[in-house]
Amino acid sequence: MTELSVRLAVSLAQIAAVMGVVMLTVMILTLAERKVLGWMQDRMGPMEVGPYGVLQPIADGLKLFFKEDIVPAGANKFMFTLAPILAMVPALIGFAVIPFGPGQTFEFFGISVKPFVISDINIGILYILAFTSIGAYGIILGGWASNSKYSLLGGLRSAAQVISYELNVGLAIVGVLILAGSLSLVKIAEAQSGGFWHWYVFAFPAPQIFAFVVYVISAVAETNRVPFDLPEAESELVAGFFTEYSGMRFAFFFIAEYANMVLVSCIAAVMFLGGWNAPYPGTILAQVGLPQVAWAENIAWFTVKTYAFLFLFFWLRATLPRLRYDQLMKFGWKVMLPIALANIVVTSIAVYFFRG
Amino acid sequence: MSTAPTQPGPKRHSRLVEWLKTIVFYEILVGMKATMSHLLRYRPITVQYPHEKRALPDNYRGMLALLRYDDGTEKCVGCDLCEAACPSRVIRVVSAEVPGEPTKRYSKEYYMDMTRCLFCGMCVEACPVDALGMTQEFEWAVYDKRQLYLNKQQLLAIGDRSFPVREKRLELQHRNVAFFNVSFSHVPQKPN
Repeated sequence: MTELSVRLAVSLAQIAAVMGVVMLTVMILTLAERKVLGWMQDRMGPMEVGPYGVLQPIADGLKLFFKEDIVPAGANKFMFTLAPILAMVPALIGFAVIPFGPGQTFEFFGISVKPFVISDINIGILYILAFTSIGAYGIILGGWASNSKYSLLGGLRSAAQVISYELNVGLAIVGVLILAGSLSLVKIAEAQSGGFWHWYVFAFPAPQIFAFVVYVISAVAETNRVPFDLPEAESELVAGFFTEYSGMRFAFFFIAEYANMVLVSCIAAVMFLGGWNAPYPGTILAQVGLPQVAWAENIAWFTVKTYAFLFLFFWLRATLPRLRYDQLMKFGWKVMLPIALANIVVTSIAVYFFRG
Repeated sequence: MSTAPTQPGPKRHSRLVEWLKTIVFYEILVGMKATMSHLLRYRPITVQYPHEKRALPDNYRGMLALLRYDDGTEKCVGCDLCEAACPSRVIRVVSAEVPGEPTKRYSKEYYMDMTRCLFCGMCVEACPVDALGMTQEFEWAVYDKRQLYLNKQQLLAIGDRSFPVREKRLELQHRNVAFFNVSFSHVPQKPN
């Protein structure tokens, strides 16, 4: 086997594994969200399919596959078909640079591979920001191509909201980039090793706690989740940009939203919460004499952090009512943006004085 | 009696507190604590409906039914009072003489259009012989509205199903109708 074919096979295997895990996570999330919301509201959530309703995502998927797929008369058919794909692909493509485990290299058929990150490129976070902003096109095109006023309004709202909050996400991350001195997510995660006081939320010269809060709020807004779910405000816009969609096309928007949630959770874990690092120095498995499988502990910590962040999404949804649109924009531009900018200035000064 | 809550502190202090509460999202955190407390002390108040059913109160106004006496004869005498009492014109009664007994009448046909019924129970109130009753049945979802246009046989069947023992419930009856409601086999002997 040539080196190229081995690399190709390894990459394809990694992509398949990551896509499988992400899709599984999305399935789990659709159930977990309904269950957690139910528990918080003294209900039970889905209970009919399987024991305690655990097979509900499969039933939902089957239902969506067999539902009638309608293209409204007067809709732009090409754009109508393209929009869900445009929403879904950027949401999934971002996982290509997320490090799920340590960036160490393993020997495999004579070539060295990093098994826990599909591609460790040195502009990782820039790549993610660039691609997630394409996701807004899917939403606004879906709203426009439906030839429905409510869908168009939902799409426009989503576009304005995603663009203005994407700005805050980008600015909130800049502080971390100043501290890490790199755009590679693997390097950023590695720089936070050695206990939770090295995580960039609490890191010494400039704790990024305000940036983290800005990031959390902007991430919720960017994924169109409650309390920023204005693009799908059912009391004002029927169902927003996906009103005219049915069957699997609707499911694509739905999966894209959940995949985006997983993606922003992964980024939050990597950028602020130490990525795959445990909150104590090193790993327990290496201490007890199993350094070969220490990566399992690291991946477990990454999973715990991501799921804790995803739980926060559900928690917020169970608690908060929807914002008004002018409040949303005012909050984004007049509160979040100055805080993010001030954070950059303070971080820069702190790094200049404490690191020379 | 002054039941005023705690006095507000100096204005500058309270303003500082308000500002601090705003920047740490105090109200949102209080709300999130409330939802989390519900998750931790999880006591669902829902009923798993098709599997569990609530016990309905005795005076629940469910599906209407025509009733019979203990010997199986219909109570309805076709007097049309229920039709007159019904505010939504659900009921249609076609009255006829009992063959061979010119003094007795019965309802030859009896229709109820349950699509219009609002279960007010005024027909039951109006009936002088307690021939109408309200049952505990409420699961009457159908695919075709015409299935809710009930005839006499169906209404009698509902009555037989819901009140298999046609017992006297004098305490629930209007005193003016008590006499009619007593079935023939149970008419007490008049004291001479």
